[in-house]
Amino acid sequence: MPTFKLDDQEIPFEEGDTIIRAAWRAGVEIPHYCWHPGLSIAANCRMCLVEIRSGRQMALPVLEWDDKKKEYVEATKPKLQPACQVPASEGMEVYANSEHALKGQESTQEYLLLNHPVDCPICDQAGECKLQDYWLTSQAKLKRKKTPRVHKPKGVRFGPTIIYDAERCIMCTRCIRVCDELVGDHVLDMRERGNTNEIVLSPGRELDHDYTLMTEHVCPVGALTSRDFRFKARVWFLKSAQGVCTGCATGCNSWVDYDPRYQRVYRLRPRDNEDVNQFWMCDDGMMTYKRFHEDRILTGRVRASGRVNEVPRDLAVEAAAKVLEKADGRKLAFVLSAQHPSEDNYVLAKLAEEHFGTDRVYLTALPDWKGDDILRHPDHNPNRAGAEAVAKGAAKSMEDLVADVESGEVTAVISLGWATSLTEAELAPLSTLAGEGVGGAAHVNLTSNAGALTSTASVVVPVASPAEMSGTFVNAKGMAQRFRKAISAPGGIVPAWQTLIEIGRALGWTVDFARLHDVRENMPAPQLTADAGSPEQAAPAT
Amino acid sequence: MSKKVLDRLKAEFSDRILETSDFRGDDQAIVAPKDWKAVAELLRDDPELSMDHFIDITAADYPERAPDEPRFDVLLIVRSMKHGHRVRLKTRVAEDQRLASLFEVWPGTNWGEREIWDMFGIPFDGHPDLRRILMYPEFEGFPLRKDYPIDRVQPLVPYRDVEGIEKLPPFGPEEGQPWARIDWQARLEGEDIQVSPAIGTQVGQRPALSRGPEHEAADDDEAAASEE
Amino acid sequence: MEPHYEELEDEASLELPSEPMRLNMGPSHPAMHGTIRMVLELDGETVMDVDVQPGYLHRGFEKSCERGTWSQVFPYADRLNYVSPMLNNVGFALAVEKLIGLEVPERCTYYRTVLGEIARITDHLTCNGATAMELGAFTPFLWLIKVRDWLWDVLEQETGARLTHSFGRIGGMAKPPTQGFKESTLAIFPEIDHALAETEALLMKNRIFLDRTQGVGKLSPERAVAMGCTGVMLRSTGVDYDVRKANPYMFYDRFDFDVPVGHDGDNYDRFCCRFEEIRQSMKIIRQALDQMPPEGPVMSEDVRYVLPEKDEVYNTIEGTIAHFKLVMEGLKAPPGEVYSYTEGGNGELGFYIVSDGSGTPYRVRCRPPCWYNLSACREMLVGDMIADIIPTFGSVNMIGGECDR
Repeated sequence: MPTFKLDDQEIPFEEGDTIIRAAWRAGVEIPHYCWHPGLSIAANCRMCLVEIRSGRQMALPVLEWDDKKKEYVEATKPKLQPACQVPASEGMEVYANSEHALKGQESTQEYLLLNHPVDCPICDQAGECKLQDYWLTSQAKLKRKKTPRVHKPKGVRFGPTIIYDAERCIMCTRCIRVCDELVGDHVLDMRERGNTNEIVLSPGRELDHDYTLMTEHVCPVGALTSRDFRFKARVWFLKSAQGVCTGCATGCNSWVDYDPRYQRVYRLRPRDNEDVNQFWMCDDGMMTYKRFHEDRILTGRVRASGRVNEVPRDLAVEAAAKVLEKADGRKLAFVLSAQHPSEDNYVLAKLAEEHFGTDRVYLTALPDWKGDDILRHPDHNPNRAGAEAVAKGAAKSMEDLVADVESGEVTAVISLGWATSLTEAELAPLSTLAGEGVGGAAHVNLTSNAGALTSTASVVVPVASPAEMSGTFVNAKGMAQRFRKAISAPGGIVPAWQTLIEIGRALGWTVDFARLHDVRENMPAPQLTADAGSPEQAAPAT
Repeated sequence: MSKKVLDRLKAEFSDRILETSDFRGDDQAIVAPKDWKAVAELLRDDPELSMDHFIDITAADYPERAPDEPRFDVLLIVRSMKHGHRVRLKTRVAEDQRLASLFEVWPGTNWGEREIWDMFGIPFDGHPDLRRILMYPEFEGFPLRKDYPIDRVQPLVPYRDVEGIEKLPPFGPEEGQPWARIDWQARLEGEDIQVSPAIGTQVGQRPALSRGPEHEAADDDEAAASEE
Repeated sequence: MEPHYEELEDEASLELPSEPMRLNMGPSHPAMHGTIRMVLELDGETVMDVDVQPGYLHRGFEKSCERGTWSQVFPYADRLNYVSPMLNNVGFALAVEKLIGLEVPERCTYYRTVLGEIARITDHLTCNGATAMELGAFTPFLWLIKVRDWLWDVLEQETGARLTHSFGRIGGMAKPPTQGFKESTLAIFPEIDHALAETEALLMKNRIFLDRTQGVGKLSPERAVAMGCTGVMLRSTGVDYDVRKANPYMFYDRFDFDVPVGHDGDNYDRFCCRFEEIRQSMKIIRQALDQMPPEGPVMSEDVRYVLPEKDEVYNTIEGTIAHFKLVMEGLKAPPGEVYSYTEGGNGELGFYIVSDGSGTPYRVRCRPPCWYNLSACREMLVGDMIADIIPTFGSVNMIGGECDR
């Protein structure tokens, strides 16, 4: 592979790479604002200017202050070139920390802060803001400008998800390029010049496509903020865990940002993975974190004489075991979930196979949603492939389950999760099972959130949400991707697979896998293509 | 000024001095643990160096180093009273690796090495008295290791029970005050052993009147047994 | 039940048989300053062996430093030697400045010198006052503590706190000297001279005091050097080592002062050395106050390490960012390790600091002078009487906060 020299380091590059991209691949950062590895080159922020000493050097005539003569004298200095635009070539000598390059970075940084408002204390970007980082590394000087700042619009509503602050904006045009290049919707553009430069919406439009949050994600400063995350948390209190989006079968990699003090997830951020989602996630995917905290089932529920009673989790586990003990093994249905990780589904299928000796397995999943050819997959479930692999392709649909219940083929059900394509009314036959209570036929539901399956169950056992456990999702391409636990589940709640082992043991099932590692060893997962990496791996800021 | 020290060390030990540096004017030489004591002795005894003044010995933990690299740095800082120069000698030891004690070279390393043992768990060979020094003997773990969490709660230590010694709470050999229990008469008679069966084979001590109410039953049993 | 010796003719020829006695002194013994336990092996009243056990005031200084920012170490540093906290403050600031390579303004260095020497005087006054008191001379203690209080008034006027000032900053001092700083400092000097003269008149010809200090707690210079003793403890043995002279830091090479040394290394020498050092410190302060520029900054202006003025923070984005970075992430010292040493109240106060380039110290090792001074205590006590422990231990001036950290 050809190489060039950046400062004192040899950087390998591929044909066609720019200097900054080759350095980025090698893990060397050249300060930049407008360049983004997933977007086209704009070269308008001028932060990545470097001195290139090889080849024909370009000199720039300048006036320099001479302290002895007390006047400006004519001088030349090397002309700096943008590292994001100049292609790397063999043997090139690039300097990003030479005297002239550093001076260039300092001047650019000072220029970008000229009219910047004093907003850090109220700005959501503070703590992960490139302006702050590069001030320290490239400028580290106080303001010289004495004239008043130029004021521009603040708090402009760009759409249902994004608020724009023109004063903070450095006009890098990353957001415009995201809309143009990722979505193909030219909804944002720039108007005016110089001090009055600002980002505007196309006339008659608002920012409402499916990837609006990516404009906020690529914004290197606090100009675009997400209405959802605004003023909710300060980023330096957040920690990040490697997650996989639960929104659809694409399985976008994400950072789950949570506050360890409150054990609460505040947002998701895309995690770079060239094979799956590159650098992006869709709006609906970014919002899937809400399900970790909304509509949660945190206590057990037991239906008795027509009423649903909330009971402690442990009692619900006992009740579930009691119900299953009395159930007729041949007429017991096992419902896997395409929303649950493979670990949960595997242990449930194993319980059916080993303890009850049945292969009466069904699969519940959310109905398809709107797909597109960017990231969104029509299948609204993150793990249909994984659940089907566990069921060895023999899982029947929920419609079949309802028919079987109605025909008396099935008298008891144990189901996983809240997600289903059927409405509560369509599931009504299951609640007749539930209505009979502990008398032999029943419906046990293990779930993290409330849903149609939950309300038709006679016993509900709370389990951990995907943020509260480590697990594996298999996406539509058949890639098994692991995600890691971010927060702890409240009140002794454990993942569904652990809960199932607990129930199984109460039934007298001898399980020889009690740890996550053992489950994964036994699991018939497709080729593991993407591990979530080590938990110590730092989450890079955007 | 003290460039001389590093030059002299390099001349004497050549490639056994693994690395030298003088960051911010602090002269530092790194040696292998096996050369630790030999270099220290040279530092003290060589007339050009004559580093007789012991200043400090301490350690630092780097658990994130590659697994095949030693985890701890042990540092010695010494100076010469005669020449005024000083040097920092450093060695790198792995977990559970023993390092030669410098007690015979500078007796001042006594407490320093005890502290390193206490805080980092690096054992020293040839140290006369390697006990914990800032922590108590029952302390679990080594607090200045990076993997020791700052908020770890230590288990409660039960009342120290010294085995093999019949003691009158709260007195015991650790706690002192045995004067009331020395039986001078027995000792003067040339026999340095107990005259009373109540205590057993204690040396030169006055028989205890009672070992306390909780021992009464045992005392009675013993008395009965000895009568038989 | 004493034995009978009727058959023996000459009582004087009798050697009293004795079993070594084990005695605990401390940790809650008043003469152990509340934090040291000594397990003594006694032969009669003679100390045959002693096991000095420190650690009762261990608060995890070094561990605590590894989780804050560099500036957050200052309050902890105050609580090392709590009799002369300013010397610790300055010592730590100098260590970090050495690591960064940061220059501080000249006025700041003079200010640090003066405040540090005031702290040294209070340290020595406390030590000598307490030593005298523990030998029964309560009056000198009151005299010396009275002057110390006036000195603390000056420190309070400058820093706002009498004891735990937290006044040092990386790159300078928190505030410039107050207007009456020079006058109020110099106004106390006659009182100090007076108190020293009176105390000396009372003690230096006092038979009891001399008997209990002269020739007691002796240490040889060779052993002191090999044991790592520094400060007054080392100088009392006749070894001329004072960091201010041997490796002048700050502006100590600009001042004319002497380093008093003893010749016997006993309690008396230590007592006298401390008094003489007080006089030398006053001499330094006079010169420093004369040389100190009347105007000028006391903080470096490098905003990477030093908080900008509040006016800048509230009104400019650069100031806000600087403040944000320094407070939220801490100043980022370059990766590296240095050992920086100053003359503390008890001797060489060293800080060995390691930075990994982040805002948090990777390792802060404090080389407490008392630690090695105290470890030499065993040699000084063995062979002396049990009552000699009190003046000897007193004149070692073990400060629990610094020794145990």
